[in-house]
Amino acid sequence: MAVYKRGYQRYQGPLTGRFARLMAMPRFAWERLLQQRLVVIMLCLSMLWPLLCMGFVYLANHLDLIPGMGGGLEKMVSINAKFFVVFMNIQAIFTVILAAMAGPGLIAPDLANNALPLYFSRPMTRVDYVLARMMVLAGLLSMVTWAPGVVLFTMQSSMAGWGWFTGNWRLGAGLVAGFLLWILVVSLVAMASSAYVKWRIIAGALVLGFFFILAGVAEMVNAVFRVDWGSLLNPSRSMYHIWCRLLGAELPEGPGTWEYASAIAALVVLLLVVLERKLRPVEVIK
Amino acid sequence: MPSVIELDNLRVQLGRREILKGISCRLGVSGAGKAIGLLGPNGAGKSTLIQTLLGFHMPVGGRARVLGFDCHRQPRQVRSCIGYMPETDSFIANMTAVSFLRLMGQISGLPAETALEKAHEVLFHVGLGEARYRQLGTYSLGMKQMAKLAQAIVHGPELVILDEPTNGLDPAARQRMLKLVREMKEEHGMNVVLCSHLLGDVEEVCDEVVIMKDGQVVHQSNLEEERRSNRRFVELEVMGDDSRLGEGLARIGADGVAEGEGRWRIVLQPEMEVAVLWKLAAEQDLLVRKLTHRRDSLEEIFLKAVGHLRQTPGEAAREEVAANGGL
Repeated sequence: MAVYKRGYQRYQGPLTGRFARLMAMPRFAWERLLQQRLVVIMLCLSMLWPLLCMGFVYLANHLDLIPGMGGGLEKMVSINAKFFVVFMNIQAIFTVILAAMAGPGLIAPDLANNALPLYFSRPMTRVDYVLARMMVLAGLLSMVTWAPGVVLFTMQSSMAGWGWFTGNWRLGAGLVAGFLLWILVVSLVAMASSAYVKWRIIAGALVLGFFFILAGVAEMVNAVFRVDWGSLLNPSRSMYHIWCRLLGAELPEGPGTWEYASAIAALVVLLLVVLERKLRPVEVIK
Repeated sequence: MPSVIELDNLRVQLGRREILKGISCRLGVSGAGKAIGLLGPNGAGKSTLIQTLLGFHMPVGGRARVLGFDCHRQPRQVRSCIGYMPETDSFIANMTAVSFLRLMGQISGLPAETALEKAHEVLFHVGLGEARYRQLGTYSLGMKQMAKLAQAIVHGPELVILDEPTNGLDPAARQRMLKLVREMKEEHGMNVVLCSHLLGDVEEVCDEVVIMKDGQVVHQSNLEEERRSNRRFVELEVMGDDSRLGEGLARIGADGVAEGEGRWRIVLQPEMEVAVLWKLAAEQDLLVRKLTHRRDSLEEIFLKAVGHLRQTPGEAAREEVAANGGL
């Protein structure tokens, strides 16, 4: 029978579980995200560098295709920790831009339209809401971070052989772990910005500004006080150090890994506090 | 059958201010399909009470239960069986009504296909069928109210909490909203909590009423019983010789006081119907000019409860009859 003829009937069937309810939000958000032309264009652009790297991996394993080049080339195009760190660094820039474009549309409209009471009056907690929103960004950013990274690693392993894989498995694991950590930080920054300001454009600018301004502040602190711990204020720098440690690449000068890891942990806690304070079903004025 | 809402010395504090000051009451009966009106002046704590039931605020003392579930300890279970229509605009502007309702249905636990089906169904039910593919941001105020109601009932909750549902509606839309509320309880067996400043709305659809003032329940009554008891107090005005009317009233078991010029105030026995007065008047050859129930309106009950009226007219009539040696 046609819906308009049937009339309203109360639903009394079985309800879905927590995970299915949680996944409903990302599904709707991805659908809407992929309708935004700019996001799709940026997503495509983000794939260029992994494609170039794939070409590089292919060449590195087929040096015979470039005749007349000596052993210097072989040394230059070797696939090692440095190669993957460079890959991660470039992709990290794209993730920040993508997060700045996609992140503000996740929470800011809910706050601007006072939609939070509708979510929280359903069987959904604030943690569920943050997880669901984070999944949107995590899914999107995974497409340009660890997913192509794993493809690169697998490609190199299959071309270079089992021996290379057993000697360098740490690169693959480090790449995935490093990117997951970066996705966590970038997603939290995007969500906190989106929760802090209700206007999408300003929230997007805030995401970009967060990384660029903090990098500038860190350099300023280092220069003014003639210290190196100012770099702890720069999340990109901290993450670069952690990636080098995870992948076993040469560590840059400055504070140690624990200091950088602590700085990232403190940042994550700070962002969670912002979300905790902003994402409330009702605002209580004390 | 558990009560729909059960409050036991519930105390809620926002900041340093105590908003709900030890409320205790039981409202409604699960599965009965009744409407409970929640009334009170601004700042009485109505919204805080609703938000506490939804688990938005943590009580500092006492407890609140909805359909047998503790609001603080079992918020998921409580929210699974509640539909909430907030007072203020709450939606996602750049979503179509169907997508919005589908999302809300899925978050409430409906399977994806069922959620889509119910979204269409409920939009037709509230009268937004033709506008269901329009973005919510383009809706008029009345349409937004209907969309808010639709999202509250899309998952078929057992309890629907409506916060000022007729706000901003024109008379026709208001009537439609009240009709939908009546249908919800009468045809679909949902329990409804209706929070409104419009006493007429509450009187029209509610079976029970709770009046709050300064964070406390100052009056709780069953409107149906109230209406029944009001029917016992009658004002009668007759033409003709009414000197034997007092005797006649005593004979049939009623009691009355003559106010002069053919006006009488009468108290009937609980089981008595007004028809006996017509019969009595006919027997004594009296012409009935006026016969009205001395009815306490909800407004009078409300004004008395919040302290703006010393006593309701019904109470005054009862006192007057009693003072004259009534029942």
